[in-house]
Amino acid sequence: MVEFLQFLVPGILIGGVYALLASGLGLIFGVMRVVNFAQADFMMLAMYLSWALFAGGFGLDPFLAVPAVFVVFLLLGMAVHWLFIRFVIGQRENHDAQVILTIGLGLIFQNLILIRYSSEPRVVAPAYANEGDFIGDIFISRVRLYAFLLSLLVAALLFLFLNRTGTGRAIRAASENWEAATYMGIDIDRTNRIAFGVGVALTAVGGAALVTFQSITPFVGFRFVVVMFAAVVLGGLGSVSGAFVGGVLIGIIQSVSQVWTSAAVKNVWVFALFLLILYVRPNGLFGKVQRAI
Amino acid sequence: MLEISDLCAGYDGVPALRSVDFRVGRGERVAILGPNGAGKTTLLKAISGTVAADSGSISFEDRDLLSQAPHRRVEAGIVHVPQGRMIFASMTVADNLRLGSHRSIARDRHDERRDLVLEIFPALAGMLNRDGGALSGGQQQMLAVARGVMACPRLLMLDEPSMGLAPRAADDIFEGIARLLESETTAMIVVEQRAHEALHICDRAFVLESGEVALEATSRELLADERLAAAYLGAEI
Repeated sequence: MVEFLQFLVPGILIGGVYALLASGLGLIFGVMRVVNFAQADFMMLAMYLSWALFAGGFGLDPFLAVPAVFVVFLLLGMAVHWLFIRFVIGQRENHDAQVILTIGLGLIFQNLILIRYSSEPRVVAPAYANEGDFIGDIFISRVRLYAFLLSLLVAALLFLFLNRTGTGRAIRAASENWEAATYMGIDIDRTNRIAFGVGVALTAVGGAALVTFQSITPFVGFRFVVVMFAAVVLGGLGSVSGAFVGGVLIGIIQSVSQVWTSAAVKNVWVFALFLLILYVRPNGLFGKVQRAI
Repeated sequence: MLEISDLCAGYDGVPALRSVDFRVGRGERVAILGPNGAGKTTLLKAISGTVAADSGSISFEDRDLLSQAPHRRVEAGIVHVPQGRMIFASMTVADNLRLGSHRSIARDRHDERRDLVLEIFPALAGMLNRDGGALSGGQQQMLAVARGVMACPRLLMLDEPSMGLAPRAADDIFEGIARLLESETTAMIVVEQRAHEALHICDRAFVLESGEVALEATSRELLADERLAAAYLGAEI
Protein backbone atom coordinates (compact mmCIF):
# COMPACT_ATOMS: atom_id res chain seq x y z
CA MET A 1 0.00 0.00 0.00
CA VAL A 2 2.82 2.39 0.91
CA GLU A 3 4.56 1.61 -2.35
CA PHE A 4 1.32 2.32 -4.25
CA LEU A 5 0.88 5.67 -2.48
CA GLN A 6 4.54 6.46 -3.11
CA PHE A 7 3.70 6.39 -6.83
CA LEU A 8 0.17 7.77 -6.61
CA VAL A 9 1.10 11.02 -4.85
CA PRO A 10 3.80 12.09 -7.37
CA GLY A 11 1.37 11.10 -10.13
CA ILE A 12 -1.25 13.48 -8.79
CA LEU A 13 1.37 16.23 -8.37
CA ILE A 14 2.74 15.96 -11.93
CA GLY A 15 -0.82 15.48 -13.18
CA GLY A 16 -1.63 18.95 -11.89
CA VAL A 17 1.08 20.40 -14.15
CA TYR A 18 -0.14 18.32 -17.12
CA ALA A 19 -3.58 19.71 -16.38
CA LEU A 20 -2.29 23.26 -16.66
CA LEU A 21 -0.48 22.49 -19.91
CA ALA A 22 -3.57 20.85 -21.38
CA SER A 23 -6.11 23.43 -20.21
CA GLY A 24 -4.40 26.08 -22.35
CA LEU A 25 -4.66 23.86 -25.41
CA GLY A 26 -8.25 23.00 -24.50
CA LEU A 27 -9.23 26.65 -24.11
CA ILE A 28 -7.86 27.57 -27.53
CA PHE A 29 -9.58 24.64 -29.22
CA GLY A 30 -12.81 25.25 -27.31
CA VAL A 31 -13.10 28.87 -28.33
CA MET A 32 -11.80 28.96 -31.90
CA ARG A 33 -11.52 25.31 -32.96
CA VAL A 34 -7.82 25.70 -33.64
CA VAL A 35 -5.59 22.72 -32.85
CA ASN A 36 -2.46 24.59 -31.86
CA PHE A 37 0.50 22.35 -32.66
CA ALA A 38 2.84 25.11 -31.42
CA GLN A 39 1.43 24.89 -27.89
CA ALA A 40 4.24 22.69 -26.53
CA ASP A 41 6.78 25.08 -28.05
CA PHE A 42 5.21 28.01 -26.23
CA MET A 43 5.77 25.87 -23.12
CA MET A 44 9.42 25.42 -24.15
CA LEU A 45 9.84 29.19 -24.64
CA ALA A 46 8.35 29.78 -21.18
CA MET A 47 10.82 27.32 -19.68
CA TYR A 48 13.69 29.22 -21.28
CA LEU A 49 12.28 32.51 -19.98
CA SER A 50 12.13 31.05 -16.44
CA TRP A 51 15.67 29.77 -16.84
CA ALA A 52 16.86 33.17 -18.11
CA LEU A 53 15.21 34.98 -15.19
CA PHE A 54 16.76 32.51 -12.73
CA ALA A 55 20.23 31.95 -14.19
CA GLY A 56 20.69 35.11 -16.25
CA GLY A 57 21.76 37.32 -13.38
CA PHE A 58 18.32 38.08 -11.95
CA GLY A 59 18.29 35.06 -9.65
CA LEU A 60 14.50 35.11 -9.70
CA ASP A 61 12.89 32.04 -8.16
CA PRO A 62 10.93 30.19 -10.91
CA PHE A 63 7.72 30.17 -8.88
CA LEU A 64 8.01 33.89 -8.12
CA ALA A 65 8.61 34.49 -11.84
CA VAL A 66 5.23 32.99 -12.76
CA PRO A 67 3.30 36.32 -12.90
CA ALA A 68 5.93 37.74 -15.28
CA VAL A 69 5.81 34.59 -17.41
CA PHE A 70 2.02 34.80 -17.53
CA VAL A 71 1.98 38.42 -18.67
CA VAL A 72 4.74 37.94 -21.25
CA PHE A 73 3.02 34.93 -22.81
CA LEU A 74 -0.44 36.50 -22.63
CA LEU A 75 0.92 39.34 -24.75
CA LEU A 76 2.92 37.00 -26.99
CA GLY A 77 -0.13 34.80 -27.57
CA MET A 78 -2.29 37.81 -28.41
CA ALA A 79 0.37 39.07 -30.80
CA VAL A 80 0.64 35.68 -32.53
CA HIS A 81 -3.13 35.59 -32.88
CA TRP A 82 -3.20 39.10 -34.36
CA LEU A 83 -0.30 38.45 -36.70
CA PHE A 84 -1.15 34.94 -37.90
CA ILE A 85 -3.96 32.93 -36.33
CA ARG A 86 -6.86 35.29 -37.07
CA PHE A 87 -6.34 34.77 -40.79
CA VAL A 88 -7.10 31.04 -40.60
CA ILE A 89 -10.17 31.05 -38.32
CA GLY A 90 -13.75 32.30 -38.43
CA GLN A 91 -15.46 32.74 -41.75
CA ARG A 92 -12.27 31.98 -43.64
CA GLU A 93 -11.73 28.89 -41.55
CA ASN A 94 -9.13 26.61 -43.11
CA HIS A 95 -8.03 23.59 -41.08
CA ASP A 96 -5.12 22.67 -43.37
CA ALA A 97 -3.74 26.19 -43.04
CA GLN A 98 -4.16 26.02 -39.24
CA VAL A 99 -2.12 22.82 -39.04
CA ILE A 100 0.65 24.08 -41.32
CA LEU A 101 0.76 27.48 -39.62
CA THR A 102 0.98 26.17 -36.05
CA ILE A 103 3.49 23.43 -36.88
CA GLY A 104 5.54 26.04 -38.73
CA LEU A 105 5.45 28.41 -35.76
CA GLY A 106 6.62 25.61 -33.48
CA LEU A 107 9.55 24.80 -35.79
CA ILE A 108 10.54 28.46 -35.93
CA PHE A 109 10.47 28.73 -32.12
CA GLN A 110 12.58 25.56 -31.74
CA ASN A 111 15.18 26.68 -34.25
CA LEU A 112 15.44 30.23 -32.94
CA ILE A 113 16.20 28.81 -29.49
CA LEU A 114 18.59 26.26 -30.97
CA ILE A 115 20.52 29.04 -32.74
CA ARG A 116 20.60 31.23 -29.63
CA TYR A 117 21.20 28.66 -26.86
CA SER A 118 22.32 25.43 -28.67
CA SER A 119 20.85 22.07 -27.71
CA GLU A 120 22.73 21.89 -24.42
CA PRO A 121 20.28 21.04 -21.63
CA ARG A 122 19.64 23.82 -19.13
CA VAL A 123 18.62 23.26 -15.53
CA VAL A 124 16.90 25.50 -13.03
CA ALA A 125 17.89 24.36 -9.57
CA PRO A 126 16.77 26.60 -6.71
CA ALA A 127 18.18 25.85 -3.26
CA TYR A 128 15.16 23.72 -2.31
CA ALA A 129 15.16 21.70 -5.56
CA ASN A 130 16.07 18.44 -3.87
CA GLU A 131 14.21 19.01 -0.61
CA GLY A 132 11.04 17.35 0.45
CA ASP A 133 8.95 16.23 3.40
CA PHE A 134 7.67 12.92 4.66
CA ILE A 135 4.00 12.61 5.40
CA GLY A 136 3.87 9.27 7.13
CA ASP A 137 6.00 7.04 4.92
CA ILE A 138 5.30 9.04 1.77
CA PHE A 139 8.01 11.39 0.51
CA ILE A 140 6.74 14.54 -1.16
CA SER A 141 9.14 16.55 -3.31
CA ARG A 142 8.89 20.24 -2.47
CA VAL A 143 9.18 21.54 -6.05
CA ARG A 144 6.54 19.11 -7.28
CA LEU A 145 4.25 20.12 -4.43
CA TYR A 146 4.74 23.81 -5.25
CA ALA A 147 4.06 23.07 -8.94
CA PHE A 148 0.84 21.27 -8.03
CA LEU A 149 -0.32 24.06 -5.70
CA LEU A 150 0.44 26.58 -8.43
CA SER A 151 -1.72 24.56 -10.84
CA LEU A 152 -4.60 24.56 -8.36
CA LEU A 153 -4.28 28.31 -7.84
CA VAL A 154 -4.22 29.00 -11.59
CA ALA A 155 -7.17 26.67 -12.15
CA ALA A 156 -9.17 28.54 -9.49
CA LEU A 157 -8.27 31.90 -11.05
CA LEU A 158 -9.21 30.58 -14.50
CA PHE A 159 -12.57 29.41 -13.14
CA LEU A 160 -13.23 32.85 -11.64
CA PHE A 161 -12.13 34.59 -14.85
CA LEU A 162 -14.41 32.47 -17.07
CA ASN A 163 -17.42 32.58 -14.76
CA ARG A 164 -17.28 35.91 -12.95
CA THR A 165 -15.99 38.44 -15.49
CA GLY A 166 -17.61 39.91 -18.59
CA THR A 167 -14.68 38.91 -20.78
CA GLY A 168 -14.73 35.37 -19.39
CA ARG A 169 -18.45 35.06 -20.06
CA ALA A 170 -17.88 36.40 -23.58
CA ILE A 171 -15.22 33.72 -24.14
CA ARG A 172 -17.59 31.00 -22.94
CA ALA A 173 -20.37 32.36 -25.12
CA ALA A 174 -18.15 32.53 -28.22
CA SER A 175 -16.96 29.02 -27.43
CA GLU A 176 -20.50 27.67 -27.36
CA ASN A 177 -21.96 29.53 -30.35
CA TRP A 178 -20.00 32.28 -32.08
CA GLU A 179 -22.99 33.44 -34.12
CA ALA A 180 -25.20 33.86 -31.04
CA ALA A 181 -22.31 35.63 -29.31
CA THR A 182 -22.13 38.03 -32.27
CA TYR A 183 -25.80 38.90 -31.73
CA MET A 184 -24.94 39.80 -28.12
CA GLY A 185 -22.53 42.44 -29.40
CA ILE A 186 -19.43 40.42 -28.53
CA ASP A 187 -16.40 41.27 -30.65
CA ILE A 188 -15.44 37.76 -31.73
CA ASP A 189 -12.00 38.71 -33.05
CA ARG A 190 -11.07 40.41 -29.78
CA THR A 191 -12.49 37.52 -27.74
CA ASN A 192 -10.49 35.00 -29.78
CA ARG A 193 -7.35 37.08 -29.34
CA ILE A 194 -7.76 37.18 -25.56
CA ALA A 195 -8.61 33.45 -25.40
CA PHE A 196 -5.54 32.60 -27.48
CA GLY A 197 -3.38 34.76 -25.23
CA VAL A 198 -4.81 33.22 -22.05
CA GLY A 199 -4.48 29.70 -23.50
CA VAL A 200 -0.84 30.24 -24.38
CA ALA A 201 -0.18 31.85 -20.97
CA LEU A 202 -1.74 28.89 -19.11
CA THR A 203 0.54 26.44 -20.87
CA ALA A 204 3.48 28.81 -20.32
CA VAL A 205 2.78 28.81 -16.57
CA GLY A 206 2.73 25.01 -16.73
CA GLY A 207 6.16 25.19 -18.38
CA ALA A 208 7.41 27.54 -15.66
CA ALA A 209 6.19 25.05 -13.05
CA LEU A 210 8.06 22.22 -14.80
CA VAL A 211 11.52 23.82 -14.93
CA THR A 212 12.47 22.92 -11.38
CA PHE A 213 12.42 19.18 -12.16
CA GLN A 214 12.68 18.99 -15.95
CA SER A 215 15.80 19.92 -17.93
CA ILE A 216 15.26 22.31 -20.82
CA THR A 217 16.22 21.85 -24.47
CA PRO A 218 14.76 23.38 -27.64
CA PHE A 219 12.94 20.07 -28.24
CA VAL A 220 11.54 19.52 -24.75
CA GLY A 221 8.06 20.14 -26.15
CA PHE A 222 8.07 16.73 -27.85
CA ARG A 223 8.04 15.07 -24.43
CA PHE A 224 4.82 16.84 -23.47
CA VAL A 225 2.91 17.41 -26.68
CA VAL A 226 1.45 13.90 -26.70
CA VAL A 227 0.42 14.20 -23.06
CA MET A 228 -1.25 17.55 -23.75
CA PHE A 229 -3.22 16.30 -26.73
CA ALA A 230 -4.17 13.06 -24.97
CA ALA A 231 -5.43 15.02 -21.94
CA VAL A 232 -7.53 17.32 -24.12
CA VAL A 233 -9.14 14.46 -26.06
CA LEU A 234 -9.55 12.33 -22.94
CA GLY A 235 -11.30 15.15 -21.08
CA GLY A 236 -13.50 16.00 -24.05
CA LEU A 237 -12.57 18.24 -26.95
CA GLY A 238 -13.34 21.85 -26.19
CA SER A 239 -13.83 21.38 -22.45
CA VAL A 240 -11.26 23.20 -20.31
CA SER A 241 -12.37 21.45 -17.13
CA GLY A 242 -12.20 18.14 -19.04
CA ALA A 243 -8.64 18.90 -20.18
CA PHE A 244 -7.72 19.63 -16.57
CA VAL A 245 -9.13 16.32 -15.31
CA GLY A 246 -7.54 14.51 -18.29
CA GLY A 247 -4.14 15.94 -17.34
CA VAL A 248 -4.41 14.80 -13.73
CA LEU A 249 -5.59 11.36 -14.85
CA ILE A 250 -2.62 10.94 -17.21
CA GLY A 251 -0.19 11.94 -14.46
CA ILE A 252 -1.69 9.32 -12.15
CA ILE A 253 -1.67 6.55 -14.80
CA GLN A 254 1.92 7.30 -15.83
CA SER A 255 3.08 7.13 -12.25
CA VAL A 256 0.98 4.32 -10.76
CA SER A 257 1.66 1.99 -13.73
CA GLN A 258 5.27 1.94 -12.56
CA VAL A 259 4.21 -0.09 -9.53
CA TRP A 260 3.72 -3.08 -11.84
CA THR A 261 5.60 -2.30 -15.08
CA SER A 262 8.68 -0.48 -16.27
CA ALA A 263 8.68 3.32 -16.50
CA ALA A 264 9.63 2.90 -20.16
CA VAL A 265 6.11 1.72 -21.00
CA LYS A 266 4.19 4.19 -18.84
CA ASN A 267 2.68 5.89 -21.90
CA VAL A 268 1.39 2.53 -23.16
CA TRP A 269 -0.95 2.49 -20.15
CA VAL A 270 -1.97 6.06 -20.86
CA PHE A 271 -3.01 5.15 -24.40
CA ALA A 272 -4.70 1.95 -23.29
CA LEU A 273 -6.88 4.02 -20.97
CA PHE A 274 -7.25 6.63 -23.68
CA LEU A 275 -8.65 4.05 -26.13
CA LEU A 276 -10.86 2.48 -23.48
CA ILE A 277 -12.44 5.80 -22.49
CA LEU A 278 -12.95 6.86 -26.09
CA TYR A 279 -14.56 3.48 -26.79
CA VAL A 280 -17.00 3.93 -23.89
CA ARG A 281 -17.40 7.71 -24.25
CA PRO A 282 -16.45 8.83 -27.77
CA ASN A 283 -16.75 12.51 -26.79
CA GLY A 284 -14.29 12.11 -23.91
CA LEU A 285 -15.05 12.27 -20.20
CA PHE A 286 -16.69 15.70 -20.21
CA GLY A 287 -17.33 16.22 -23.91
CA LYS A 288 -20.86 16.97 -24.96
CA VAL A 289 -22.10 17.83 -28.40
CA GLN A 290 -21.61 21.57 -28.89
CA ARG A 291 -20.84 22.07 -25.22
CA ALA A 292 -17.63 23.87 -24.64
CA ILE A 293 -15.87 25.45 -21.67
CA MET B 1 -34.39 55.20 -38.56
CA LEU B 2 -33.43 52.18 -40.71
CA GLU B 3 -33.15 52.70 -44.46
CA ILE B 4 -32.35 49.91 -46.87
CA SER B 5 -32.10 50.52 -50.56
CA ASP B 6 -31.40 48.28 -53.50
CA LEU B 7 -30.01 45.58 -51.20
CA CYS B 8 -28.72 42.37 -52.77
CA ALA B 9 -27.31 39.54 -50.64
CA GLY B 10 -26.93 35.80 -50.82
CA TYR B 11 -24.88 32.73 -50.03
CA ASP B 12 -21.91 31.62 -52.13
CA GLY B 13 -23.10 33.51 -55.17
CA VAL B 14 -26.71 32.33 -54.90
CA PRO B 15 -28.88 35.44 -54.46
CA ALA B 16 -31.35 35.41 -51.54
CA LEU B 17 -32.28 39.11 -51.68
CA ARG B 18 -32.77 40.99 -54.93
CA SER B 19 -32.83 44.76 -54.90
CA VAL B 20 -34.78 45.11 -51.66
CA ASP B 21 -35.95 48.55 -50.51
CA PHE B 22 -37.11 48.66 -46.91
CA ARG B 23 -37.43 51.16 -44.11
CA VAL B 24 -38.44 51.29 -40.47
CA GLY B 25 -39.34 54.56 -38.75
CA ARG B 26 -38.51 55.47 -35.16
CA GLY B 27 -40.65 53.39 -32.79
CA GLU B 28 -42.37 51.66 -35.70
CA ARG B 29 -43.24 47.95 -35.65
CA VAL B 30 -42.89 46.16 -38.96
CA ALA B 31 -43.73 42.58 -39.90
CA ILE B 32 -41.91 40.72 -42.64
CA LEU B 33 -44.05 37.97 -44.04
CA GLY B 34 -43.70 35.46 -46.81
CA PRO B 35 -43.14 31.81 -47.62
CA ASN B 36 -40.10 29.76 -46.65
CA GLY B 37 -37.04 30.68 -48.65
CA ALA B 38 -38.34 34.16 -49.45
CA GLY B 39 -35.27 35.83 -47.91
CA LYS B 40 -36.76 37.01 -44.61
CA THR B 41 -34.00 35.64 -42.37
CA THR B 42 -31.32 36.75 -44.83
CA LEU B 43 -32.70 40.30 -44.64
CA LEU B 44 -32.34 40.31 -40.83
CA LYS B 45 -28.85 38.79 -41.04
CA ALA B 46 -27.81 41.42 -43.57
CA ILE B 47 -28.99 44.13 -41.16
CA SER B 48 -27.15 42.58 -38.19
CA GLY B 49 -24.08 41.86 -40.31
CA THR B 50 -23.80 38.06 -40.19
CA VAL B 51 -24.56 37.90 -43.93
CA ALA B 52 -22.56 40.24 -46.15
CA ALA B 53 -24.41 42.46 -48.60
CA ASP B 54 -23.38 42.09 -52.25
CA SER B 55 -24.60 45.56 -53.15
CA GLY B 56 -26.97 48.30 -52.03
CA SER B 57 -26.96 50.25 -48.81
CA ILE B 58 -28.17 49.99 -45.23
CA SER B 59 -28.15 52.99 -42.94
CA PHE B 60 -29.25 53.32 -39.33
CA GLU B 61 -29.88 56.77 -37.88
CA ASP B 62 -28.26 58.19 -41.03
CA ARG B 63 -25.04 56.22 -40.47
CA ASP B 64 -23.80 53.64 -42.94
CA LEU B 65 -24.08 50.15 -41.44
CA LEU B 66 -22.38 48.07 -44.10
CA SER B 67 -18.92 49.32 -43.14
CA GLN B 68 -19.47 48.35 -39.49
CA ALA B 69 -18.68 44.99 -37.88
CA PRO B 70 -21.64 43.09 -36.36
CA HIS B 71 -20.71 43.98 -32.76
CA ARG B 72 -20.63 47.67 -33.69
CA ARG B 73 -24.17 47.36 -35.03
CA VAL B 74 -25.31 45.93 -31.68
CA GLU B 75 -23.52 48.79 -29.98
CA ALA B 76 -25.56 51.15 -32.19
CA GLY B 77 -28.73 49.52 -30.81
CA ILE B 78 -29.66 46.90 -33.43
CA VAL B 79 -30.42 43.68 -31.55
CA HIS B 80 -31.21 40.44 -33.36
CA VAL B 81 -33.08 37.56 -31.71
CA PRO B 82 -32.20 34.81 -34.18
CA GLN B 83 -34.23 31.97 -35.57
CA GLY B 84 -33.80 28.76 -33.58
CA ARG B 85 -33.29 30.71 -30.30
CA MET B 86 -29.52 30.19 -30.08
CA ILE B 87 -29.52 30.45 -26.32
CA PHE B 88 -26.32 29.39 -24.55
CA ALA B 89 -27.42 25.94 -23.43
CA SER B 90 -24.55 25.25 -21.03
CA MET B 91 -24.94 28.59 -19.24
CA THR B 92 -27.56 29.52 -16.68
CA VAL B 93 -30.58 31.66 -17.47
CA ALA B 94 -29.00 34.43 -15.36
CA ASP B 95 -25.76 34.25 -17.37
CA ASN B 96 -27.72 34.28 -20.64
CA LEU B 97 -29.46 37.45 -19.47
CA ARG B 98 -26.16 38.96 -18.39
CA LEU B 99 -24.73 38.29 -21.84
CA GLY B 100 -27.79 40.04 -23.25
CA SER B 101 -26.64 43.19 -21.48
CA HIS B 102 -23.15 43.02 -23.00
CA ARG B 103 -23.88 46.25 -24.93
CA SER B 104 -22.13 49.03 -23.04
CA ILE B 105 -25.22 51.16 -22.43
CA ALA B 106 -27.06 48.10 -21.05
CA ARG B 107 -24.41 47.02 -18.53
CA ASP B 108 -25.27 49.69 -15.98
CA ARG B 109 -28.97 49.00 -16.40
CA HIS B 110 -28.71 45.22 -15.99
CA ASP B 111 -30.77 44.88 -12.80
CA GLU B 112 -33.49 47.22 -14.01
CA ARG B 113 -33.74 45.40 -17.37
CA ARG B 114 -33.76 41.99 -15.69
CA ASP B 115 -36.72 43.09 -13.56
CA LEU B 116 -38.47 44.22 -16.74
CA VAL B 117 -37.95 40.95 -18.64
CA LEU B 118 -39.02 38.88 -15.65
CA GLU B 119 -42.18 40.96 -15.55
CA ILE B 120 -42.76 40.30 -19.26
CA PHE B 121 -41.93 36.60 -18.97
CA PRO B 122 -42.70 35.66 -15.34
CA ALA B 123 -42.10 31.96 -16.14
CA LEU B 124 -38.35 32.69 -16.20
CA ALA B 125 -38.28 34.15 -12.69
CA GLY B 126 -37.90 30.84 -10.89
CA MET B 127 -35.33 29.48 -13.34
CA LEU B 128 -32.46 31.93 -13.13
CA ASN B 129 -30.01 29.30 -11.90
CA ARG B 130 -31.09 26.60 -14.32
CA ASP B 131 -29.01 25.83 -17.43
CA GLY B 132 -30.54 27.21 -20.62
CA GLY B 133 -30.43 23.76 -22.17
CA ALA B 134 -32.70 22.40 -19.43
CA LEU B 135 -35.60 24.70 -20.37
CA SER B 136 -38.55 23.68 -22.55
CA GLY B 137 -38.76 25.01 -26.11
CA GLY B 138 -41.21 27.72 -25.11
CA GLN B 139 -39.10 28.80 -22.13
CA GLN B 140 -35.99 28.88 -24.33
CA GLN B 141 -37.79 31.17 -26.76
CA MET B 142 -38.84 33.42 -23.86
CA LEU B 143 -35.21 33.51 -22.78
CA ALA B 144 -34.06 34.36 -26.31
CA VAL B 145 -36.48 37.31 -26.52
CA ALA B 146 -35.69 38.38 -22.95
CA ARG B 147 -31.96 38.29 -23.71
CA GLY B 148 -32.56 40.61 -26.66
CA VAL B 149 -34.60 43.00 -24.52
CA MET B 150 -31.76 43.11 -21.96
CA ALA B 151 -29.63 45.01 -24.50
CA CYS B 152 -31.91 48.11 -24.39
CA PRO B 153 -32.44 47.81 -28.16
CA ARG B 154 -33.36 50.77 -30.32
CA LEU B 155 -34.35 48.32 -33.05
CA LEU B 156 -35.33 44.82 -31.95
CA MET B 157 -35.40 42.15 -34.66
CA LEU B 158 -37.29 38.93 -33.89
CA ASP B 159 -36.82 36.04 -36.31
CA GLU B 160 -39.65 33.49 -36.16
CA PRO B 161 -40.34 33.77 -32.42
CA SER B 162 -43.04 31.08 -32.59
CA MET B 163 -41.14 28.59 -34.74
CA GLY B 164 -41.37 25.00 -33.51
CA LEU B 165 -43.59 25.86 -30.54
CA ALA B 166 -46.91 24.37 -29.51
CA PRO B 167 -49.81 26.84 -30.03
CA ARG B 168 -50.10 27.55 -26.31
CA ALA B 169 -46.36 28.28 -25.97
CA ALA B 170 -46.47 30.48 -29.07
CA ASP B 171 -49.39 32.41 -27.56
CA ASP B 172 -47.31 32.98 -24.41
CA ILE B 173 -44.49 34.40 -26.51
CA PHE B 174 -46.77 36.80 -28.36
CA GLU B 175 -48.42 37.86 -25.10
CA GLY B 176 -44.96 38.61 -23.72
CA ILE B 177 -44.02 40.62 -26.82
CA ALA B 178 -47.29 42.54 -26.55
CA ARG B 179 -46.51 43.37 -22.89
CA LEU B 180 -43.05 44.50 -23.95
CA LEU B 181 -44.45 46.83 -26.58
CA GLU B 182 -46.74 48.43 -24.02
CA SER B 183 -43.77 49.45 -21.88
CA GLU B 184 -41.11 50.15 -24.54
CA THR B 185 -40.96 52.54 -27.46
CA THR B 186 -38.35 50.54 -29.30
CA ALA B 187 -38.72 49.94 -33.03
CA MET B 188 -39.22 46.32 -34.02
CA ILE B 189 -39.03 44.02 -37.02
CA VAL B 190 -40.78 40.66 -36.71
CA VAL B 191 -40.29 37.83 -39.18
CA GLU B 192 -43.10 35.38 -38.59
CA GLN B 193 -45.02 32.56 -40.25
CA ARG B 194 -48.05 33.20 -38.04
CA ALA B 195 -49.06 36.25 -40.03
CA HIS B 196 -52.18 37.00 -38.03
CA GLU B 197 -50.32 37.37 -34.73
CA ALA B 198 -47.56 39.39 -36.35
CA LEU B 199 -49.98 41.82 -38.00
CA HIS B 200 -51.77 42.39 -34.70
CA ILE B 201 -48.61 43.64 -32.99
CA CYS B 202 -47.20 45.56 -35.99
CA ASP B 203 -48.07 48.80 -37.77
CA ARG B 204 -46.94 47.80 -41.23
CA ALA B 205 -45.96 44.69 -43.16
CA PHE B 206 -43.72 43.77 -46.04
CA VAL B 207 -44.31 40.58 -47.99
CA LEU B 208 -41.18 39.03 -49.46
CA GLU B 209 -41.33 36.56 -52.31
CA SER B 210 -38.24 35.01 -53.92
CA GLY B 211 -36.01 37.66 -52.43
CA GLU B 212 -38.07 40.64 -53.60
CA VAL B 213 -40.60 42.88 -51.89
CA ALA B 214 -43.93 41.77 -53.36
CA LEU B 215 -46.16 43.97 -51.22
CA GLU B 216 -45.99 46.72 -48.65
CA ALA B 217 -49.14 47.59 -46.73
CA THR B 218 -50.34 48.64 -43.32
CA SER B 219 -51.40 45.85 -40.99
CA ARG B 220 -54.87 47.31 -40.94
CA GLU B 221 -55.10 47.08 -44.75
CA LEU B 222 -53.91 43.50 -44.82
CA LEU B 223 -56.21 42.40 -42.02
CA ALA B 224 -59.21 44.16 -43.59
CA ASP B 225 -58.77 43.13 -47.22
CA GLU B 226 -59.41 39.40 -47.49
CA ARG B 227 -58.51 39.29 -51.19
CA LEU B 228 -55.14 40.94 -50.57
CA ALA B 229 -54.42 38.71 -47.61
CA ALA B 230 -55.44 35.57 -49.46
CA ALA B 231 -53.31 36.49 -52.47
CA TYR B 232 -50.15 37.13 -50.51
CA LEU B 233 -50.52 35.29 -47.26
CA GLY B 234 -52.62 32.26 -48.15
CA ALA B 235 -55.51 31.13 -46.01
CA GLU B 236 -53.83 31.94 -42.73
CA ILE B 237 -55.30 35.40 -42.23
